[in-house]
Amino acid sequence: MNTEKPKIMKVFDELLENPQNRLVEQAAQSGRIPIGYSCSFVPEPLLMTDRLFPVRLHAMGVTGTELADNYLSSLLCSYTRSILEFAMDDRYDLIRGWVFVPSCAHMQRLTDNLDYLKKPSFIHVIDVPRKVNSATVAWQTEELRMLADRLSEHFNVDTSDHALMKAIDEWNHFCSVVSKIGELRKRPNPPITGTEFHSAVMASLASPKDLILPYLETLHDEIKNQDTKGKYRARLMVAGGHLHDPEFIRVIESQGGLVVADRFCTGSIPGLNPVKVNGDPFRALAEQSFEKALCPRMMEDFERRLKLIMDTVKEYKVDGVVLEVIKFCDLWGVDAMPLVSALRNEGIPVLKLEREYRLGGEGQLRTRVQAFIESMGR
Amino acid sequence: MIAAGCDVGSLTTKAVILNNTRLLGHAIARSSINPEKSAAEVIEKALKAARLTFDDIGFCVGTGYGRERIEFVKKTVSEISCHAKGAHFLQPSVRTIIDIGGQDCKAIRLDAKGEIVKFITNDKCASGTGRFLEVMAKLLGLKLEELGSISSQATRPINLASTCTVWAQAEVIMHLNEDMSRADLAAGINEAMAARVAILARSVGIEKDVCMSGGVAKNTGVLEAMEKQLGVPMRRLRVDPQMMGALGAAVFAREKMGGK
Repeated sequence: MNTEKPKIMKVFDELLENPQNRLVEQAAQSGRIPIGYSCSFVPEPLLMTDRLFPVRLHAMGVTGTELADNYLSSLLCSYTRSILEFAMDDRYDLIRGWVFVPSCAHMQRLTDNLDYLKKPSFIHVIDVPRKVNSATVAWQTEELRMLADRLSEHFNVDTSDHALMKAIDEWNHFCSVVSKIGELRKRPNPPITGTEFHSAVMASLASPKDLILPYLETLHDEIKNQDTKGKYRARLMVAGGHLHDPEFIRVIESQGGLVVADRFCTGSIPGLNPVKVNGDPFRALAEQSFEKALCPRMMEDFERRLKLIMDTVKEYKVDGVVLEVIKFCDLWGVDAMPLVSALRNEGIPVLKLEREYRLGGEGQLRTRVQAFIESMGR
Repeated sequence: MIAAGCDVGSLTTKAVILNNTRLLGHAIARSSINPEKSAAEVIEKALKAARLTFDDIGFCVGTGYGRERIEFVKKTVSEISCHAKGAHFLQPSVRTIIDIGGQDCKAIRLDAKGEIVKFITNDKCASGTGRFLEVMAKLLGLKLEELGSISSQATRPINLASTCTVWAQAEVIMHLNEDMSRADLAAGINEAMAARVAILARSVGIEKDVCMSGGVAKNTGVLEAMEKQLGVPMRRLRVDPQMMGALGAAVFAREKMGGK
């Protein structure tokens, strides 16, 4: 396994130590407006118009959810409870607006409680339909226009078509740089580990894109001519819902499985595909949000979710898939059952792991991953 | 060709010394807070039983939760693979293994070659583990090993409403206060344990032959309750089931040295 980290990685690691990192502080101090969001159905380019910038909410380093547990049942997923915990602990005090999606009942409870307890001056819920067809794309386009109008009115920012087109260009450039790094993982000896890649992506999603881009370019330049420096026993793909902490991937990789591809809410596949504009930019964003999220809340999309994993397995020459599901996640909990069977039927080894938002039970995790790699004859 | 396996588990540490296919010695001791020390002590005991010294060992494999802390092993293998290897070594017809350890339980399904086809582990709750039985035995004022034998005297086993270790304790205390016999309580506890683990075992798909490994497999009450739950006989293996992980590790070590 690659033991020598690219030098630039220390920047990404440091940026992940705080949900409002120094780049967020820097942008906020210069008069820009950070907008927090928690779901992949929220189209980042819309939150990049004019002085706005999106900050993907994370609660890495959370040690408990004592405050949040007063309001959210312990049967709600630990991701939503962790976000509320940080919000109540004023860890997102720079965030000037919140955009949520009722993608599941847990997220809805988070939104309701955050609204009730913190009374933010700007909070908006995008009502994303659960089916994809021409009528729902039109609905979603209208939803995004409503959000744009509210942002414009509340923050006095330009969210016109022209401003959005500019933001989409910036977003697409950001995606192309991350994808360029991601492409290197297809190599027989990838120059970047899954832990490092995830750290860079997570830090980027939680930072203003223009300020993080130079670091991403440096990372690409630093590694593009390198190879994996150590040995690994298997190439793995991680799939599932919200996964923020790169430590989870580090534990997997500590057992000799190099994570070469990811398919989770905060990963790069297919989340960072560019937005294709052909006419109305709001409609393009609406189409893109349906295309990139691949969330199990879209029950009719199961075949597409399965196909994406199978295509990625082939493209990245993956030996086995680790399917991670946060405990009590209704959506992934239900989807995982047929997904595991379907992948196994295709001859793809699968390890399903139930986990909490923060890394725990490292010993058990190591044992399962080691046994999984051994069971693949590696 | 002396091969050794050392299994540092959460509650006990085990070691096995193997000469080709012959078991020369084995040992078991309670795990201390220092896995290195536990492993060193237990391998020494096993070597003594085999009348060998440490220098005689050609290859040693470590397993168990403390595997990465064992200083003298040349390779580590997960306990899931080791239990599978040990069971296949003893009885090649085994296809399903139910391993109940001190703080977790696993169900493993094998193919005819002894390769793992599927496995599942329970680790977030003590109710399907040896720890559950330990707590219950203490509550009944019994030694852990008595929990199995006494349950054979039961006439009306209790039906535990909860398999949660904490709630089940409250329930058992209530029954004790009602002067219920310890045999009926022990039988109910074993059945609750088996019912819980059977759910896990069914999820890998039960295929005969089925065997149990881990310390709890020595409890005849659980073994019989498991047979009833799953509707299949449990293959009794010729080695202490608690040694299965260490035995599997020793078999892996033997293979590393070129043995088949």
